[in-house]
Amino acid sequence: MNILKKLLRRHTSIPQLIGFALANLAGMWIVMLGIQFYYDAVPVFTSDDAFSNNNYIVVSKHISSLGTVSGQDGGFKDNEVEEIKKQSFCKRVAPFTSSAYRTTAEMSFKGMSPISTELFFESVPDDFVDTKAEEWRYNAGDDTVPVILPRAYLALYNFGFAQSHGLPKLSDGLASNIEMNIHIGNGDDRKVFKGNILGFSGRLNTILVPESFIMWSNEVFAPDEAENPTRLIMEVTNPTDDAIATFMQKKNYDIEDDKLNAGRATYFLKIVVSIVMLVGLLVCILSFYILTLSIFLLIQKNTTKLETLFLIGYKDKTVCLPYQSLALTINAVSLIVAFLLVIVCRSYYVSFISDLFPQIETSGILPTIVAGIAIFTFTAILNTIILRKKISKIAKFS
Amino acid sequence: MTEIFIDNTLPCVFSERTDIRSDVWKKELKLERGKKYLIEAESGSGKTSLCSFLIGQRSDYLGRICFDKTDIRQFRPTDWADIRCRHISSVFQEMRIFAELSGWENVVIKNNLTKHKTESEILDWFQRLGLGNHTTHLAGKMSLGQQQRIALMRSLTQPFDFIIADEPVSHLDEENAIIMAELMKEEAEKNNAGIIVTSIGKRLPLDYDYILKL
Repeated sequence: MNILKKLLRRHTSIPQLIGFALANLAGMWIVMLGIQFYYDAVPVFTSDDAFSNNNYIVVSKHISSLGTVSGQDGGFKDNEVEEIKKQSFCKRVAPFTSSAYRTTAEMSFKGMSPISTELFFESVPDDFVDTKAEEWRYNAGDDTVPVILPRAYLALYNFGFAQSHGLPKLSDGLASNIEMNIHIGNGDDRKVFKGNILGFSGRLNTILVPESFIMWSNEVFAPDEAENPTRLIMEVTNPTDDAIATFMQKKNYDIEDDKLNAGRATYFLKIVVSIVMLVGLLVCILSFYILTLSIFLLIQKNTTKLETLFLIGYKDKTVCLPYQSLALTINAVSLIVAFLLVIVCRSYYVSFISDLFPQIETSGILPTIVAGIAIFTFTAILNTIILRKKISKIAKFS
Repeated sequence: MTEIFIDNTLPCVFSERTDIRSDVWKKELKLERGKKYLIEAESGSGKTSLCSFLIGQRSDYLGRICFDKTDIRQFRPTDWADIRCRHISSVFQEMRIFAELSGWENVVIKNNLTKHKTESEILDWFQRLGLGNHTTHLAGKMSLGQQQRIALMRSLTQPFDFIIADEPVSHLDEENAIIMAELMKEEAEKNNAGIIVTSIGKRLPLDYDYILKL
């Protein structure tokens, strides 16, 4: 085998192979960095949101100064909800139900003095919430209430409160460690519940509890209050549809644009990363082309030797091996170096992302490893097929 | 494999010719294992073509060539690889020596494939053929006579039913030609193999059973 290698690798052009290795390295690096960046950056827009579906829109009526002065009801009437339901862009729509009583809550974390505040609850039908059904449930009379908090609260705490009080910053994963006590009612009717924080949402700017809890508690603590809903949650087929904006403008409704922006940002991130990866793939293809040409040239220069090898009894499979191992080695080295480069680059931008968004838990490097190995395997297989074809043609002496 | 059957064979380039008078072309000829054949020919009579047909390098001929009962046109490259390792050995007219390898490596590259001979057996051949001091020399720097001896040694590092030697001593002196003939005869006898030698003048000195005119 060593003599065979020595024989067949003569005339190998080192500059050509270095050219290929660098091109292949660049291609792999671009593709892998693109994938890694996508996986690291996408949680900035979608991080563990209780509403991972991008197609939810919150609709409310426009609040004008005149309306405030005249005490006009800002709620949606049934016929207005029906009208929205009939629109082509609307998949389904449901009202927010608010708590009709006074609530205060205390929150503390790991023994620090509790923060107390007056607040309110809202609910949407349970099938709009992505959280697991067994967790997102309330039976009348239970002491524990599942809660989803607005992400803005976490940001307020991390950047305003924690910083000035020298307290640790919180990530999403630590949310379940927050102790939350909810006080409802006055005097003898006063009841204390324990809040079980399931997660944070950047999409729904409200303190969300299960619908069954709102129904039950409104009946118990505020039996006579009944108001039209002021906000609606709507699932649309395509959030970029112009018809939505036109309809909302005509009806003088407001939509909370934030989640649309997050959806758009993710969409653009996808496009940008796809373009970058396409460029990377193109570089990979070109580098593969260089390698194939370079090895073809080598085979061409060695044709007489190859013929002799076949005439003295060598099989095309055996003769192929030195060329295959040459290509494989260069590919594998490029893969490893590209991977190391990605890790180095990543360490720079990850520290930047975690400074800006401490609550984000960046994803691992598994998708990048998988992508790298997939490209490597694909290249190796294609290479083997092309080489075998070329060499067995010589073996046929045709 | 016990016989090679050449059945009305003619190189395609001769297909227009009508003046062919040959013991091989356009005849039914059986070459048997254990026998020694000398094929004498003038230049241009298709001697190297015949050798190329017999080792599967070319197939531009009319008629049939069979190994035992099998038409050799049916063989695929992998079959030929097996035949060239175990059944048919050949010494090429143009020698086909790897110039960038040493004399030793040129022989061992074949033996690595067949594992037929030990290193000491090969070294013994080098010494018998007067190349004991040339094992590490680059084959490309050797004389044609030396290359011819290397080519013979390479062809003997395998088991074979027939050995086909195309002008094996064209560049050799009488003394070396005798040693080469002895070596080839010894190995052929060990394998009970047939010897097919071609010549355009200088013969490999052997006691031939048949002398054929091409």
